[in-house]
Amino acid sequence: MAKKLKNYIGGEWVESITSDYIPVHDPATCELLAECPDSTAEDVDRAVQAATEGFDEWRRTPVMNRAQYMYRLKTLLEDRFEDISRMVVQENGKALDEARGEVRRGIESVDFATGVPFMMRADGLEDVSSGIDEFTMRQPAGVFAAITPFNFPAMVPLWFLPTAITCGNTFILKPSPQTPISMDILFEILEELDLPEGVVNLVQGGKASSMAIMEHPGIKGVSFVGSTPVAKLVYETCTRHGKRVQAQGGAKNYIAVMPDANMEASVKNIMGAAYGCAGQRCLAAAVVVAVGDAYDKVRDEVAKQAGNLRVGYGLNETTQMGTVVSAAAKERIENLIQRGLDEGAKVVLDGRNVTVAGFEEGTFVGPTILENVTPENIVAKEEIFGPVLSLMKAENFDEAVDLINNSRYGNAASIFTTNGGYARDFKYRVNAGNIGINIGVAAPSASFPFGGQKDSFFGDLHGQGSDSIEFYTERKIIIERWI
Amino acid sequence: MASLNTFGAILTYAINLEVQLRDYYQSAGNSGRAQGADKRRQTLERIRREYVVEITLEPIDGLDETNYAFDLKDPSENGQRSIESTAARFFADVSPKINVRQAQRALERCGKEHQELAQA
Repeated sequence: MAKKLKNYIGGEWVESITSDYIPVHDPATCELLAECPDSTAEDVDRAVQAATEGFDEWRRTPVMNRAQYMYRLKTLLEDRFEDISRMVVQENGKALDEARGEVRRGIESVDFATGVPFMMRADGLEDVSSGIDEFTMRQPAGVFAAITPFNFPAMVPLWFLPTAITCGNTFILKPSPQTPISMDILFEILEELDLPEGVVNLVQGGKASSMAIMEHPGIKGVSFVGSTPVAKLVYETCTRHGKRVQAQGGAKNYIAVMPDANMEASVKNIMGAAYGCAGQRCLAAAVVVAVGDAYDKVRDEVAKQAGNLRVGYGLNETTQMGTVVSAAAKERIENLIQRGLDEGAKVVLDGRNVTVAGFEEGTFVGPTILENVTPENIVAKEEIFGPVLSLMKAENFDEAVDLINNSRYGNAASIFTTNGGYARDFKYRVNAGNIGINIGVAAPSASFPFGGQKDSFFGDLHGQGSDSIEFYTERKIIIERWI
Repeated sequence: MASLNTFGAILTYAINLEVQLRDYYQSAGNSGRAQGADKRRQTLERIRREYVVEITLEPIDGLDETNYAFDLKDPSENGQRSIESTAARFFADVSPKINVRQAQRALERCGKEHQELAQA
């Protein structure tokens, strides 16, 4: 029987007040995995109360001791590594290696949080005036929350929770109702840490609980990752309610391939960038701009390698690409492919109607390649969030840069080249938050902020890295004299 | 499973191989070799956890597990030598295909150990 998920509030597993439950299916097998409560504003309010009550004791817990919880969390995550990875596959549909990579990245954020005692230190200056010293100190700011997406159900919550609580804040997590189970496992693990009540809280649900988080006066700040329209809504709502907010939105990531690039190795890397996680990631390569006579070579090599990718059930180790998250996502992706074709694109490889033996009801979309794509085509402008790669031509490097900079998104962009001059010019001129040089997925490691510009990010301080310390702390300036 | 076409497929095959060898040597009463296999299993599990970083996940081709079948029913010295030679060949074949140097090194070490056991 499918597990009926609960919320975790004030150190206890509690049933939501709601009677509405959202079914969670394995998108490959269609098996009902769990039922997720569609928690209400009242559930959120209970979590905020618990987090508020827990804050004073927790902020007084020495930072070195708070960091010790992170070492223990890391150990427990390593012990449950395969369990969590396999659950990510089941609830999301991605391939097992991708799920393992995701969990690894999540643990990296826990590693990062062990360094909070060092990173929370501030600075000072003596004798700013005669006998007067001035210094800053960082303090935890209160109750923080994160609203996290379906595409990295284990990793994205770990971008936020470990650093937030090690800085001395208390925390409320609301994962995607499409993929809530890996966070149910994480909170089982967090329960083993014996944290004080209210330090970490889990509220499962959808829109009602998200809105309640954005509007609740007891929450100091909100971290969000999702689509651009929702990121914008989160940013506007949170700021209207006086919160600090970091809202990471959607993307349309371009990859420029120069004629001098090592074609086979570059395309091998582009495969992972375009089709990894079935294209359901904000760093997915969506458009390849081949410069000059690189175009034919790129198209032929991409078609060859994409055609060889093995689409299948994610728990099968030989699967290189799993499902998309739901039937609705599959329908949306396939509709966008059709609209792209209607607007003049031509299909090089068509992933629609792919079936996998034994998983006939699974929401598979195979690797798809479209060419003759113009900048005005819907597939060049809209985030598809599926395994669809569009090919464009540019006469020269400058034209490629213009094509990239004309996109309304600015999450990531990459160049494949063996020419250092092009590489330098690319990172200098391209307006995107994460730049890859011969790297298809320009994913910052935990110690760097996760960039994002234009319609891909709303806020000032990004997730991860030094930005996260700024986001989760309040700076106080002390001007001191003894008389 | 037939094709060893992903980092996970290769590492999982290697882990299972060491588990089989551990059990094989335990049955044969050779606890030293059983412990060696189990130590390699632990190392490979750690490598699978720690080096599966998404930016390095690229398709792998040209490897098939059917090329590395061995007979675990033969406990003789010749049988052991044959098994170890196959294991050594497996690790020698797969290590260059892994694009993470640290994981590659671990696989090379496993291969070297199996080679030494084959020649012992």
